[in-house]
Amino acid sequence: MPVTETVLHLGPELERAVNRMDFFRLFKSLAGSHGFSNFGITEILGEEQGIDLQHVHALHNFPVSWFDDPKQQVMGKTDPVFVRLQQSCAPCVVDIDQPPSSVLNSSGSRSAVVIPLQAATGKRHGLIFVGGESDLSHQALALIALDSSLIFQRYFEVILSLDSISGLSDREIQIVRWTSEGKTSAEIAIILGLSEHTVNSYIAAVLRKLHVVNRAQMVASAIRSGLIT
Amino acid sequence: MITEQDDRLLRVLLVDDDPVEHVLLMRKLKTARDISIELDYVGDIGGAVDIVKSGGVDIIFLDNRLVPNNDFRETAPQLRNAGFIGPIGIISSDISGRYFEQFREYGVDFRIGKDEIDGAAISFIIAEYTREQLSETCSEDYL
Repeated sequence: MPVTETVLHLGPELERAVNRMDFFRLFKSLAGSHGFSNFGITEILGEEQGIDLQHVHALHNFPVSWFDDPKQQVMGKTDPVFVRLQQSCAPCVVDIDQPPSSVLNSSGSRSAVVIPLQAATGKRHGLIFVGGESDLSHQALALIALDSSLIFQRYFEVILSLDSISGLSDREIQIVRWTSEGKTSAEIAIILGLSEHTVNSYIAAVLRKLHVVNRAQMVASAIRSGLIT
Repeated sequence: MITEQDDRLLRVLLVDDDPVEHVLLMRKLKTARDISIELDYVGDIGGAVDIVKSGGVDIIFLDNRLVPNNDFRETAPQLRNAGFIGPIGIISSDISGRYFEQFREYGVDFRIGKDEIDGAAISFIIAEYTREQLSETCSEDYL
């Protein structure tokens, strides 16, 4: 299997990844380099919730048409991939034909590669690959698991760990300040020369860091913490 | 902010000095499932600024090097100065230059290699940059 450091996901792009789009590219490259057409990664929340591919930290390239309800994008709690992720922390190949996986069966594959991953904070995630070779050797599976853990570690550092970081970046402080002046996201975007999407990304990150739920709370918390005056 | 609930087609503007890229992107868009896009094309940054000022553009795919300009650090801010607050993605055959690490400082939302663009990547870009990132409790009405 041609896995070398020349592939995108193991080269400099791994260190340069800064947003969800970058991690989509990395996981897609990982899937492609191991012969899979589709991947999905998300946090494993609980027994009753199944696999939520609309979760804020989920990334996948499963077509919307695979889901019964495109707006929910959930793999149910009886799905064999979810059952496996509940029962095991070891990478494995899962039969998705018997019992059938209602979502992944649409890929035309009879099996999926499942890589359980654990963040440093203890939260569990699952990375799924479909649309490729089902008869993998131990060595091939081990390589996929290793590459997956390297990208996931970076994903944790850049995206997931925001939940447990307390400091704000200079840009985040700028945006909180403008919000405290009563500016909307669109107005802040024009002032700072950014997109509204980027401004909202920064606000979402600040909300997570400060453990608050709306803009007013965000500003109040930032003032109380001395982050802005 | 654009939302998935909008019924109209998403209007994507490709800014690239090579017309062949327009043809290639149109082909790739046809392979993108579950999305409806209207693709506009312009070959220079001045034309792009004019289109942006006239309104209606949702997302811009901007070629990194537009002759006679330098790279995105020179061109992306022109689109922002024209008042465009939608997502800007830099596309290039080579995104390995270290200066790409600063793309967000120049008002760029994402970067992607031309060889990485396919139907799945386009579907993800559209989903990612049209989704609401903030809950209803964070709407501006709460200010």
